[in-house]
Amino acid sequence: MNPLTLDHLHHRFGDRPALAGLSLAVAPGEVVAMVGLNGAGKTTALRVLVGRLRPASGTARVLGADPSRMRPTTAHRFGHVVGVGLVSPDLTVSENVRTAALLHGVPRAEVADAGAVVVHRLDLDAWADARARTLSAGNAQRLGIACAVVHGPSVLVLDEPTSALDPRGVVLVRELVRSLADDGAAVLVSSHHLDEVARVADRVVVVHGGRSVGELAPGPEMERRFFARVLEADVAALEASAGSAA
Amino acid sequence: MTGPGTALRVELLAWRRSTVQRLATPLLVLLVPAAAVGLTTLARSGALVGAGAAKLAEYATGDLATTHVTAAGQVLAVATLMAGGFAVAATFGQPLADGRAGAYFGLATPRWTVAWARCLVVLGWAAACTVAAVALTVALSAAVSPDGLGAEAWAAAGRALAAGLLGAGLAMPFAAVATATRSPLATVGALIGIVALTQMVVLVGGGAWFPYAVPSLWTGTGGADAAAGIGTGGLLLTAAVAPAGIAVVVQQWRRLTDV
Repeated sequence: MNPLTLDHLHHRFGDRPALAGLSLAVAPGEVVAMVGLNGAGKTTALRVLVGRLRPASGTARVLGADPSRMRPTTAHRFGHVVGVGLVSPDLTVSENVRTAALLHGVPRAEVADAGAVVVHRLDLDAWADARARTLSAGNAQRLGIACAVVHGPSVLVLDEPTSALDPRGVVLVRELVRSLADDGAAVLVSSHHLDEVARVADRVVVVHGGRSVGELAPGPEMERRFFARVLEADVAALEASAGSAA
Repeated sequence: MTGPGTALRVELLAWRRSTVQRLATPLLVLLVPAAAVGLTTLARSGALVGAGAAKLAEYATGDLATTHVTAAGQVLAVATLMAGGFAVAATFGQPLADGRAGAYFGLATPRWTVAWARCLVVLGWAAACTVAAVALTVALSAAVSPDGLGAEAWAAAGRALAAGLLGAGLAMPFAAVATATRSPLATVGALIGIVALTQMVVLVGGGAWFPYAVPSLWTGTGGADAAAGIGTGGLLLTAAVAPAGIAVVVQQWRRLTDV
């Protein structure tokens, strides 16, 4: 059984379709990247996967569980950052990661060590005693990721995890994601950064119009191949609608 | 450790560090005793004339210590509702407005347990502020009253304490308002609305059974007759608002979607 699955998800916001039959799965030890244009449905799919949005139809499963009704034992193995992380602006960086560790079910005796390790790993030591509200956008993003991985999840979902990061931050997050996957975690990442995706992902799924329209092999000329796949999907959709009209 | 203990520990730390708490605590603990003693002193100074003197006529006579503590209870009955309302507007409404609430999904500590703990922390904080405000009023009163505190004053202190706690409990439904509206400003608007509605209900004589009017009337804000009209039924109904409000919020957070 794959730890992360989306199966024929459909959802609309008013008249606008957001998901139109999206399916994908992530295996243990695999990093899968979802790429797509703005409004393609990536973040909506991730919100479903985290339990924040119940789809009109279709199913999402995290470690076999419905994400909107996850039991604590399952949730303990799950980490995510979709939009804003588990960060309180009034707490310091250290307090935030320790708080996140507690909420993720890390035993109290291990919280301080787990927090210190992840703060160091994401190079946040210099800001350990700074309030989260005072951090730059890049450091705040790294803190959000630190709070999502402080418990060593076996399933991780990240939405645009490097959007605000400097090159060093990008490398840190890439190494973190890769090492979690190497330890057996299933990781699903959404991104606009095709070059970055090519470096970290095992598989790249192109999401367009609320559904998966194929995969790209990570490697050179990702941008050209991405647009070719999107164009191909648009042409196929136009032909299908012309056929049904006739 | 997961569940209620974790949630309480986490929410307690978050509330200790919050700006709203840092502002509201000294206001409740220091301003209430200062207002009670100050208004009584002003009423008895002879400096007030006209409408001002009429407004504070109740404070101008009677046992000094009892008047101090009664005045503190009257202020607390409204102040704890307002402070608690602002607190839940900030703690429930703001994370829903800025998207932080989404991070509470998929946690080993369920989001509804976090919501429950958040209510309890705000309630506990308001209760602690009430105790501190009444204790400070008693201490100030003892220092300036030549005869000290008699039985009547201690009874008034007990009533002030209870009125403050009831007022804090009345803030809990505003956590449900904040969750439903996903807006701290809308929550504050609803809080102002309930205060206006309470005035109207009292004007038409329904205050004895309207929970949002009961604490103030019970402490004598509407006069001795109105205070005497508050029965056990009205007080129990008022006390039931907090657990009912918390139950609604917990259910809302259990069913929360589209965050």
